[in-house]
Amino acid sequence: MAVTLFWRHARARLEVLRAARPSSRSDRPGARARRELSHVLGQRKLFQKAAPGVMHAFIFWGFLVLLPTIVEAMLAAIDRRWTLPYLGHVAWFAFLQDLFATLVVVGVAIGFAIRKIQRPDRFRGSHMEEADRILLTILGIVTTLLLWNASRIALGIAGHPAGAPIADALSALFGGGRGTQVAERVLVWSHLLLVLGFLTYLPRSKHLHIITAAPNVYLATNHPRGYLEPLRIDLETTDADVRLGASVATDLSRKQVLDLFSCTECGRCQEVCPAWNTGKALSPKLLIMDLRDQVAKEAPLITAGAAGIVELQPLVPNAVADQVVWDCVTCGACVRECPVDIEHIDTIIDLRRNLVMAESRFPREAEARLRGVETYENPWGQPASARTDWTASVEDIRVLQPGDPPPEVLFWVGCAGAFDERAQKTTRSIARLLAAAGIDFAILGPRERCTGDPARRMGHEYLFQMLAEANVETLNGAGVTKVVASCAHCFNTLANEYPDYGGTYEVVHHTELLSALVAEGRLRPDPAGGRGSVTYHDACYLGRHNGRYDAPRDVLRAAGAAAVEMPRRRERSFCCGAGGARMWMEETEGTRINDTRFAEAEATGAETVATACPYCFVMLDDAAKAKGSAVRVADVATLLAESTLAEPDG
Amino acid sequence: MARAWVYAEVTPDGPHPAALELLTHARSFDEAPAAIALGPGATAAATELGAYGAASVYASDDPVFAEHPGRPAAHVLAGLIEDEPTEVVLFAQTYDSRDVAGRLQGCTGSALMGNATSITDPRHARAEIFGGTKIVDVELAGPAPTLILLRPKSIVAEPTGGIARVVPLEADVLEEVRGARIVERHEEATSGPRLEDAKVVLAGGRGLGGPDAFAILDELANEIGGAAVGASRAAVDAGWVPYSYQIGQTGKTVKPEVYLAAGISGALQHIVGMKGAKRIVAINKDADAPLLAMADLGVVGDLFQVLPALMEEIRRRKGS
Amino acid sequence: MNVVVCAKLVPTGTPTLGPDHLVVRSGVDGTLDPGDEYGLELALQLTEQHGGDVTVVSMGPDEAGQALQRALAMGASRGVLVSDPSLRGADALVTARVLAAAIATTAFDLVVAGVESTDGYTGTVPVTVAELLGIASVTAVRRLEPSDTGARIERMTERGYDVYECPLPAVVTVTAGAVEPRYPSLKGIMQAKQKPVDRPSLQDLGVSDTTVTQIVTAVTDTPTKAGGEIVQGDEAVGRIADLLAEAKAI
Repeated sequence: MAVTLFWRHARARLEVLRAARPSSRSDRPGARARRELSHVLGQRKLFQKAAPGVMHAFIFWGFLVLLPTIVEAMLAAIDRRWTLPYLGHVAWFAFLQDLFATLVVVGVAIGFAIRKIQRPDRFRGSHMEEADRILLTILGIVTTLLLWNASRIALGIAGHPAGAPIADALSALFGGGRGTQVAERVLVWSHLLLVLGFLTYLPRSKHLHIITAAPNVYLATNHPRGYLEPLRIDLETTDADVRLGASVATDLSRKQVLDLFSCTECGRCQEVCPAWNTGKALSPKLLIMDLRDQVAKEAPLITAGAAGIVELQPLVPNAVADQVVWDCVTCGACVRECPVDIEHIDTIIDLRRNLVMAESRFPREAEARLRGVETYENPWGQPASARTDWTASVEDIRVLQPGDPPPEVLFWVGCAGAFDERAQKTTRSIARLLAAAGIDFAILGPRERCTGDPARRMGHEYLFQMLAEANVETLNGAGVTKVVASCAHCFNTLANEYPDYGGTYEVVHHTELLSALVAEGRLRPDPAGGRGSVTYHDACYLGRHNGRYDAPRDVLRAAGAAAVEMPRRRERSFCCGAGGARMWMEETEGTRINDTRFAEAEATGAETVATACPYCFVMLDDAAKAKGSAVRVADVATLLAESTLAEPDG
Repeated sequence: MARAWVYAEVTPDGPHPAALELLTHARSFDEAPAAIALGPGATAAATELGAYGAASVYASDDPVFAEHPGRPAAHVLAGLIEDEPTEVVLFAQTYDSRDVAGRLQGCTGSALMGNATSITDPRHARAEIFGGTKIVDVELAGPAPTLILLRPKSIVAEPTGGIARVVPLEADVLEEVRGARIVERHEEATSGPRLEDAKVVLAGGRGLGGPDAFAILDELANEIGGAAVGASRAAVDAGWVPYSYQIGQTGKTVKPEVYLAAGISGALQHIVGMKGAKRIVAINKDADAPLLAMADLGVVGDLFQVLPALMEEIRRRKGS
Repeated sequence: MNVVVCAKLVPTGTPTLGPDHLVVRSGVDGTLDPGDEYGLELALQLTEQHGGDVTVVSMGPDEAGQALQRALAMGASRGVLVSDPSLRGADALVTARVLAAAIATTAFDLVVAGVESTDGYTGTVPVTVAELLGIASVTAVRRLEPSDTGARIERMTERGYDVYECPLPAVVTVTAGAVEPRYPSLKGIMQAKQKPVDRPSLQDLGVSDTTVTQIVTAVTDTPTKAGGEIVQGDEAVGRIADLLAEAKAI
C-alpha cells in the first residue's frame, strides 16, 4: 500500500516532468558520471560548509549503507528467523549497520543543533517544520533499527553481537524474556512503518531530493557556468504564437522542472546571493520554491494535456513577482553553491525572455539601452564611427579593414572600452602594452558590434542572436583566429557562446595575455615601481563563470603590487552589481551592491582596488566616488602599464 | 502694391517681437511691406508695427482669431491674397504662425520654406540644416506668394519710426471652417525676464539628474538678477521642466550676453538654439561633451560643486 | 475611434546630402521617426480604451516599410505605404497632398502626426493635410480625450497649456513626452509581418502634381566656431564670475 501511495505521488511528479520541454543534456557522459561521483557520492559541494556537510554526509552515506537493512527488516517482520542471504550472516555488515545507524543519529543531532541553536539566516523562508518532521522521522528510523538490533542481541538471535558494539551496549536495556520478544516485534514493525510512511511522504516533500538530486546532478550543464543555451528564433519561419522563453509551467525544460523538485531549501544560494544580501526581493531559494509550488499546484492541469494547458497561469507574476526576476545579476554564486546543481540563472533568463520578447515588460530605464543596441548596435547609443575615438591619443592602432590580412590577435575593445570615458583608459593601457610587447594586433573599429551580452541577459534573445550572427560573420570574414577581450562579459560571450553561432576562436582575456607576455619577458614591469597594496576584485564572468583567477593576480604581482585579499574572493567573489544587464537598470531597493562590495574592498586597507572588467571598474569606481573614498579603482592593465611603460596614459 | 507681407502675431499686449524682426527683414527687399494682424489687439498693434516699417497694416480685432487659432487666419489670408496678389508672406517660425502658414499652403498651393535664417528676395532664402552644420540656399518655385518661415532672433529688429496705414478687415469666418475652439487657458505663473529677453541664460540638461537640481539654477538666476533659466530637450522630454524652458531647434532661440550650460552635452538640436549667444560657458563632467569644445569657457567638473561655489563667489563680489 | 497615424522614416545615422542636395534616404538604415512614436502611442491608447483601429500611413522610399513595420509591431492594425520614384525629394506640399489622398482612402475619426520630423523640422505638413482634407486641427497636443462634441484636447503653449474643444474628424500633432511610447515585443514584431500593408500608386490616389517647388541650389558648411578655453574645477568659478562681470551681468 505504501508503495502504491508512493508511486501515485511520484507518478504525478514524473508526468509533470514528461510534459516539460525536453532538455538535451546527454553530451559527454563521462564528465557527467565523474560529476555524479564527486557531487553525489563524494558530497563535494555539501562539504563547502563543514558542519552541514558532515551532517548531510553521515545521513546520506548512512542511508546508502542501510538500504539493504530495509529488506532485512521486511523479511524479519514476517518471521524473526528470516534474514538477508549472505549480508545477514556476516560480521562486517553488522558492524557497518551499527556504525552508520549511529552516524545518522549524530548527523541528525548536528542537523538539529544547526537548526535550533545556530539558526543560520539561510533558512529564512524555508519550511522549518517540515525539515524537523523529516529529521525526526530519520531519527525514528535509525533508533528503531538500533533498538531492534539490540533486542535481537538480547534474544540471542543476532548473528554477530560483537560486530555491533552500540546495539550490543543497548541490549542491556532488554531482559531477554517475553517482554523483549514483544518489544522486538514492535520495534521491527515500527521501523518498517516509519520507513514506509516516509516513502509515501517523500514525493510531496523537499525530501524528494533523495530521488531527484542524482539525476539533476547528472543533467547539469557541461558548459562553463557563463554559458546560456540558445533559443533559436527565425522571424521568417517562426510562428507568431510560439512561446518565447518561459511563460507558464509547461514552458520549462525537464532540467528546469527537475531543478524545482530537487531543491532541499537549504538556502546556501540565498546566503551568497548579492541581491538578497543587499535587501532585494530576489532569493534564489524562494524563487525555486515559489516556482515549484506553482508547478505542483498546476500538476493536474499540466498532465491533463492540451485542455489543461490553456488554463495555466503565467509564472510571472503569479509564482514570482516581476521585480524578483529583474533583481538577478547572473553572478552564478547560487549555482556554484547549490549542492544539487540547480541552475537558477537559466530559469531566470527564460522568464526574462518571455517578459521582454512576448510581453515587452521590463524596467523602463533599460529601454533606452535596448533601443541603443537595436539602432546603433551598442548600449551607449553612439554611432559606430565613435568606436575609434579612444585611439586619438594612442599611436598607430591598426583598424582592420575588409580584405586586410588578419592580425595575430584581434583586440576586441567592447562597447564599454570604446565609449565609456573611464573604461577607455583601460583600453588605451592594453593597446600600449600590446604594442610595447610587439604583438601584431588590430581592432575592428566601426565594424565591431555589441557582443549581445546585455541584450541576452536581459532576455532579448533575438537581439543577441542578430548581433552574434553579424559579429561572427565579420570575424570569420576577417579570418580572425585569436581574440583578446578586455571585458569579462565580451570574453564569456565570445569564448562560450559564439561557437553556437559558428564562431570558434581562441579567446583570451587581457589579463591572461598580459600575464603570458610578462612571463615570456616581452613586457618588463619594474617591480620596484611600487604599486602599493592592491586588492583584486574577481569579476564573476571571468572568475566563477570561467575559472580565471590567477592571471590577473600574477599580473598585479609582476607590477609590484602587494596583494591583499578580500574575504569573498575567487570562486566566492561577490558581484559588483552590474551583471545580468543590471548595469542598465536602477537599483532602488535596499543597499547598493557596488557600495557593499566596495566597502569590503576598502576594509582590506588596500590603497587600490584592481578590476579586470569595465563593468566592475565603473561600478566600484562609482561606489568609491559616492563615498568620497581615497581608495583608487583601476584596471589590472592600467596598473601594469604604469609599472611598465614610460608614458602609460596620455 | 507690397511685394512682401508679414503675418504679425498679436496679443492684447502688442505684437509678437518676432513680427518686428520679420518687418525689418522684409524691408531688405521691399521698401513698403504690409503686415496682417488678426485678433484682439490687432488695431492697437499697428502703431508699433508701423514704427518697425510696416507701410500698411491689415487689422481685425475679431476674437474669432484668438478663440480658433490657425484656420480662420489662414482663410482670411487666402482671401486677401486672392484680392491683392503679393509675392511673399513671411511668418515667424513659432507654433502658432506655422499653423497658419501650413493651412495657407493648403489653400494656395504655393511653396513653403521653414526654418529660414535669411531671405534674399521672395524666391530665394537660406536655412541651416542638420543642427546648423550646413547652410542650404533654396529657390522657391510655384505660384505666388511664396511662404517663408523665419527663425526668431535671426536678425535684430530695427525701428524706422514710420507710421502705418491701418486697413480694417471684416472677418467673415463661416462657422464650419472655424475648427477647434479654445475653452480654457492655463498659464503658469512666471517671474523674471522671458527666456528670449534675458541678458543671462542658465540652462540645464540631462546632467542635472532630475527636476530638483533646477532649483540650483533658479537660485543662481536670482542671485545674478536679469537671468532666466532654460533647458535642453532631454530635460524637457524627461518632464523635469515645462516645454517653455526648451532651448534649441524645437524650442526657443536665445542670444543672451552670457549663456551658461550646466550638464548639457550639446546635441546639434540644442546648439541651434543658443549658438548666437555672445559668451558661452559650459560645465560638464564629461570632457568629451561637444558643447565644451565650442564654449568660450569650458569647465570640466561637477556642476553640483561648481554652481554652489559660483553662487558664493557672486555673493562675495556683490558684497565687496 | 479609428485613427490614422502618419509615420516617417528617418535615417538612423548622421544624415547626408547627395550630389543633388537631397537627403540620401534610399539604401540608408532608417527607423520610425522617434517623434512619431508619441502620436502612435496616443493613438494606440485611444483605440485600446475606446475601440477602433490604428492605420499607419507613410510616404517614402521602399525602406519606409521599416518604419511601418515598427509601427505595426507597436500595435497598429494595418499600413499604407505610398512609394513612387517621382516622390524623391518631395517638399512639404507634395508630401501633404500624398498623405491627404492616402488618408482619404481610409475611414477615420482622427489623424495623428508628430509635431515635426526629427530630420526636417518644418512642422507644417500635418496642418496642410488638415486643410486639404477640410477638417480641424490642433498642434502640439499633450492630451486628448473623446468628448460629446468631438475631442477635448490640451495643447502646449509658451507658458502652460490651452484646452480645446475640437470637432472630429481632425488632425492633431502630438508632442514628445505626452505619452511614453511602448517598446515593441518580439511577438509584436512577428505579428506585424502578418498585418496588411496597402501600396497604392499615385494614380490610385489621384495625385498627379508632384512638382517640387522648393529647390536647394547650394550647400555650404557652417563656419565652425573656434573653441575657447577648457578649465578644470577649482579655477573655473573665478573665471565664470569674471565672464559675468565682463558682460556687466553682475
